Amino acid sequence: MTSIGTGYDLSNSVFSPDGRNFQVEYAQKAVENGPTTIGLRCKDGIILACEKLITSKLLVPGSNKRISTVDRHVGIATSGLVPDGKHFTNRAREEAISWRRNFKDSVPVASLADRMGSYAQAYTLYSSVRPFGVTAILGGADDDGPALYMIEPSGMYWGYFGAATGKGRQAAKSEIEKLNPTELTLLQGIKEAARIIYVAHDDNKDKEFEIEMTWVTKDSKTATAAATGSKGMVWNGWVHEEVPKDLLEEASREAKKAIEEDDEEEEGDTKEEKMDEDL
Amino acid sequence: MFRNNYDNDSVTFSPQGRIFQVEYALEAIKQGSAAVGLRSKTHVALVALKRSAEELGSYQKKIIPIDKHLGVALAGLSPDARVLSNFMRQQSMASRLLYKRPVPVARVVNAIADKAQVNTQHYGKRPYGVGLLIAGVDETGPHLWEFQPSGQILEYFGAAIGARSQSARTYLERNFESFPDVSREELVLHGLKALRDTLQQDKELTTDNTSIAIVGIGEDLRQYDGPKVKKFLDLLGEDGTRSQRAARLDTAMDIGGDADDDDDELAGLLGPGEGGNSAMDTTE
Repeated sequence: MTSIGTGYDLSNSVFSPDGRNFQVEYAQKAVENGPTTIGLRCKDGIILACEKLITSKLLVPGSNKRISTVDRHVGIATSGLVPDGKHFTNRAREEAISWRRNFKDSVPVASLADRMGSYAQAYTLYSSVRPFGVTAILGGADDDGPALYMIEPSGMYWGYFGAATGKGRQAAKSEIEKLNPTELTLLQGIKEAARIIYVAHDDNKDKEFEIEMTWVTKDSKTATAAATGSKGMVWNGWVHEEVPKDLLEEASREAKKAIEEDDEEEEGDTKEEKMDEDL
Repeated sequence: MFRNNYDNDSVTFSPQGRIFQVEYALEAIKQGSAAVGLRSKTHVALVALKRSAEELGSYQKKIIPIDKHLGVALAGLSPDARVLSNFMRQQSMASRLLYKRPVPVARVVNAIADKAQVNTQHYGKRPYGVGLLIAGVDETGPHLWEFQPSGQILEYFGAAIGARSQSARTYLERNFESFPDVSREELVLHGLKALRDTLQQDKELTTDNTSIAIVGIGEDLRQYDGPKVKKFLDLLGEDGTRSQRAARLDTAMDIGGDADDDDDELAGLLGPGEGGNSAMDTTE
């Protein structure tokens, strides 16, 4: 790599002569090895999903979550350095609360993404800090309906119909491009999301993993309980919550089956498929 | 040791996206003696190996009680552990004062994790050089967490940190499926067996070098040190160093020679010295 040995990559907030900030690029490298994480903006809500490799069987299954709730109507999934992701999530929660304090309203997703983008950017400005080693996928819904954003270590963020980051992002992206997320319902979406996680996992098959999946939905089964728990709290009716267990299990099962069938078909013309994947 | 340009501080990423200072801090844990934690449906146990710096010196502290329902075992820099455990005590007291209830385990663990993460992102700070096993009981039952200097926290059924802890982890992985239903004493015994596997050939668990803490549902944290450890070591039955136990087993094998297949396999995996204590399990 040309950046090494020039001395311009040793400190944050330093430009190289050709206008790059190498420490930010290195922070992005930390994300590239993170777990595959995707977000889908469906017709009636948002889906966030993440592949969680099981590094030890001593770990408590279902514990150690990677997708969190920011506010009742917003969820966040991070990929990269886990502790950085936690810090970033905490900040998002503070922003959501502060918005409520100031405006007596739940934070619009676009505004939250903007705030978080600025927060990430601030960590590229000073040599006394390092950028976040995470990419965050922020999904939620407001008066304008479902919205999905992805925030990078540089502070750059874009709105998406389908977003992917982490190790399997290339494979995941090309799968998402085959879909039209806006025409999918959430129920269709969770099946696609599970399948995409399985497809993206293909490269390191031997490792076991579990899928963590959440959605932002308007008709949640737990919403009534959630609403009664919030006396006087302004809430737009959308809920970020875990995808019900039975639905997730069914989606995983179908995804697994689909992949296995694909593999069998593939056996004859492996080469062609490989080329496609590489692209 | 090799040096590179990217390992001077914790605010510099390497071209591969690694933060070396944090990785080095993880190494500091391995310099400390081992600690093991494990949980059943009703209890969590911590067992740890204490070292003494010199003959006339005391043994180091390995287990720090935080509250009635909460305790930690440490491996690495003990002053750093003291800072973290003081912070945990504050959190715990604040919870009792504000909400009149013991603090949920996950909440304190998350609090120290957030505290540790900041140290990895700002110049002039260093990551904590200590790993912790946090054992506690709350409304949701018994919990065991591992804390790392990176700010990473993970919940486990059984975990081991510190020098030669891989051997203990191997023991836990082989046996953890039986943990949920074992009694309080059996849980500690499993812990001691795991801890024993981290010992060097010529060392053994004694009342001086072993520290135990147990907390359970409806049962306050209790710590066992010194003479109080004896009853558990007696329950463990076998004494002597690993080589002594192995020698004893060799003679036993000559007479009986009926160790079952699993243990043979285990003995093969763990090397000659280990055969003794694994086969011994069948005799207890």
